[in-house]
Amino acid sequence: MKKSFSFPIIFMALVTAFFTFILAFLNYSTADKIAFNQELELSEKLLYIFDIEPLSNDPNDINQAFKDNIGTIKSDGGDLYVYYGDNKEILGYAVPINGSGLWGSIDGYVGVSADYSTLLGLEFISHSETPGLGGRISEDWYKEQFRGIDLTETTDGNYIIYKPASCGNVDAIAGATLTSKSVSKLLNEDLEEFIKREVNK
Amino acid sequence: MMKGDSPKKIFKMGLWEDNPILVQIIGICSALAVTNLMINSLIMGVGLIFVTALSSFTVSLLRNYTPKHIRMMVQVLIIAAYVIIVDIFLKAYMPEMSKALGPYVGLIITNCIIMGRAEAYAQKNSPIPSFLDGVASGLGYTLVLLVIAFIRELLGFGTVFGIQVLGEWWTPWTIMIMPPAAFFILAVVIWITKTIQEKEKDNEKGQVAN
Repeated sequence: MKKSFSFPIIFMALVTAFFTFILAFLNYSTADKIAFNQELELSEKLLYIFDIEPLSNDPNDINQAFKDNIGTIKSDGGDLYVYYGDNKEILGYAVPINGSGLWGSIDGYVGVSADYSTLLGLEFISHSETPGLGGRISEDWYKEQFRGIDLTETTDGNYIIYKPASCGNVDAIAGATLTSKSVSKLLNEDLEEFIKREVNK
Repeated sequence: MMKGDSPKKIFKMGLWEDNPILVQIIGICSALAVTNLMINSLIMGVGLIFVTALSSFTVSLLRNYTPKHIRMMVQVLIIAAYVIIVDIFLKAYMPEMSKALGPYVGLIITNCIIMGRAEAYAQKNSPIPSFLDGVASGLGYTLVLLVIAFIRELLGFGTVFGIQVLGEWWTPWTIMIMPPAAFFILAVVIWITKTIQEKEKDNEKGQVAN
């Protein structure tokens, strides 16, 4: 092929434009669907925190369960998800938690009962821990351990303590010490901040 | 060879004689990283088969028009585009899968096998054989990953595809799910393959001599 100066540039520009167009089109046409999926996922996760079982995994049932049980109220730290009982009484709050893990930030919510005495549940929204090691924080056996932890026993902000330390209440993940530590650290810090702020209000 | 290699030869090369991991020793990075669970390996493999096959196909389609000195730029662009398509598709239509895959989708792009096949095969051959070559290499990669993941998951968790196989009596070998085990097992698998392949070669030579 003849070596010309302009042809490679034009060729590259054309190929780039072609693929960019395809990607832009795909992105545009699936944007609604993806936003819907993400909202649904958040609803599902909040329901999980408060241990509410939707009738089925059907999106309609999940949204219905979400509408029936969970609402938002304004608070100092932004919108707060609230768990309502059958008579619209407040049963608990979903406290946003975030902090740095081993590889990146970990975001999630932790459910606290209305009198700030019990941990209701824990769920992660996003994290980038090593799959199969630190990534196992999003597995059920790990998260289920956090249900029902008594928050009134400690005064120094150490709500989560890994076994076998004294007063330990949760098992860490073998092979993922740093991730486990990060989770307990960010949970303890954000819980303490939330409880102090709400109790002193 | 009139119109490129026969499918049988392509698959024999990709799966065994020229297996990306066992013989070419490329794509090792992800092979070490994702093989602690079989499901991760499978998803990674399927993603790789898709991207390798289609990018090889596209590179081959454009090969006669692509100026030689910018061909790598074009290849990277094509590969990146397909990886993003996989990512968008999974997010929109298979959110469960997308969650399980997480960071792996992005990892596909860094896999040397895709670029390797584009350079070594698709650049010189017509689209259909290139497509098959991509599928074959991807399959070769996936199978090796599954073998390694099977050993690691079974010994490390006592499970296969997340289903408990070994009973309560089994003490999981934690080292199996940690990075070092991937090195050991990969090395042993390569060792076994090399031994068998050497024997095959000797046999062939013997037949010619006779």
